[in-house]
Amino acid sequence: MLLNFDRLGAWKWILLGITGLTAAFLILPILFIAALSFGSSQWLIFPPPGWTLKWYAMFFADPRWLEAAGTSFYIAAIVTVLSVLLGLVASFGLVRGRFIGKEGLRALFLTPMILPVVVLAVALYAFFLRIGLNGTVTGFVIAHLVVALPFSILSITNALEGFDKSIEDAAVLCGASPLEAKLRVTLPSISHGLFSAAVFSFLTSWDEVVLAIFMASPTLQTLPVKIWATLRQDLTPVIAAASTLLIVITIALMLLVALLRKGLKS
Amino acid sequence: MALLTEQEKIAAVGSIRPIRSRNFALTVPALLLLVVFFILPVVSLLLRSVMEPEPGLQNYEALLGSTTYLKIFLNTFSVSALVTAVALAIGFPVAWALAIMPPRWASIVFAVLLLSMWTNLLTRTYAWMVLLQRTGIINKTLMGLGLISEPLPLVNNLVGVTIGMTYIMLPFIILPLYGVIRKIDPAILQAAALCGATRWQALSRVLIPLAAPGMVSGALMVFVMSLGYFVTPALLGGTANMMLAELIAQFVQSLVNWGMGGAAALVLLVVTLALYAVQLKLFGTARMEGR
Repeated sequence: MLLNFDRLGAWKWILLGITGLTAAFLILPILFIAALSFGSSQWLIFPPPGWTLKWYAMFFADPRWLEAAGTSFYIAAIVTVLSVLLGLVASFGLVRGRFIGKEGLRALFLTPMILPVVVLAVALYAFFLRIGLNGTVTGFVIAHLVVALPFSILSITNALEGFDKSIEDAAVLCGASPLEAKLRVTLPSISHGLFSAAVFSFLTSWDEVVLAIFMASPTLQTLPVKIWATLRQDLTPVIAAASTLLIVITIALMLLVALLRKGLKS
Repeated sequence: MALLTEQEKIAAVGSIRPIRSRNFALTVPALLLLVVFFILPVVSLLLRSVMEPEPGLQNYEALLGSTTYLKIFLNTFSVSALVTAVALAIGFPVAWALAIMPPRWASIVFAVLLLSMWTNLLTRTYAWMVLLQRTGIINKTLMGLGLISEPLPLVNNLVGVTIGMTYIMLPFIILPLYGVIRKIDPAILQAAALCGATRWQALSRVLIPLAAPGMVSGALMVFVMSLGYFVTPALLGGTANMMLAELIAQFVQSLVNWGMGGAAALVLLVVTLALYAVQLKLFGTARMEGR
């Protein structure tokens, strides 16, 4: 009864009510920020007294915002490429390999996901102080790569485990070299895994705040660091504009993933 | 040379003979990254807690012996527990509804959950800073309705942190719980009804016990994630209710006290890993994400 939607009676409406309210609770703040980014009130009054694009104009007129966004994109792009490459190679080892401690290694590769980021941030900050990597692109890339790699390994090992290796073997038997078979048979078949590894890696780096706060220097900061630093001073609507741009990028990437999944199914 | 290729081919075609350490080399680049930039820095940070300013346990004595720091530990635990309880209380009915509602409606809720999860953490926290501020829409509405005459203090205190953190943690409890409820056979609840159980009895004595593993696992995950959270408590909480992650950052950034920073990091790490081990022991799998 309780698991039959049509026979729940009055409870059905209670459950739907709670779900509806929760969905509203989750989505409204995001829509609210998007709406305020077009509102003319400096004090973020809602509903806004008028509509304007001036916060976006201020965002695009300020070289520091644009520079931060550029840095974020640049770092996220490098992290994406490295994370997919390292993840791909490691996943082959984890899925196809036979060696002692394989499961332990797999667990180790996922530990950056469970470790509180602040611990990693402080530890890397100390290490980078010694070797002079704080405030450098290399430092950011390394820090973000450590937290992005688990997502990449998860996505690619999943895809690789779902791939029937006998197809690759067939290509080898038909005369392809093992490498050729991997490049031309296996890789195209697991491309959805590679793609989600890329998206997750990109978003992980692009959205990452805590590591970035520690790695940043006055001359090199990512967009989240710039938002963080601005937030600590005031709640200016320029942040709403920057946030809305971030939301749009996130939605675009999510739609891309959803479309790709649909394309794969049909 | 030719022989080696043959051997490689046999290996590629999937020989049944396990060859020792086959393909281990492929994991080396990723392993190297983790060892050099993850394990070593963390271990060396923890070592500093017993080496600086001089070898010994004085950092831990200072950390565990002072009421200021104990208050921060206590606050970290109570905020995390509160957030977990609220997220579970809201998450259970939502996961339940999601498991049985028409797929078309459910997919809308899922889209909302995913969008919320993937929206930038700072954006979500910023939204709550704006919503909850003295002149924010919530205070304005309450005053407009005549419910309050003075704006309520909703940010820089426990209320702000709890709302902001619950907002972030909800998807992490709803999604695993949905998976568990989805797997429960509806016939069991039908049987309960046939045997004369009222709805409340079926809920408290059949559905909740069956969903309990998912509730415990989801709650543990949210609790552990909350313990180590930095951004949201720093922006929505006040100085009076500082949390452990902020304390670690403060030791290192403002006080440049690496010994104490390392000690506080060790406490957080030990608690996290212990709870993670409980999770593994109870459920075999665990997936967490801390920010």
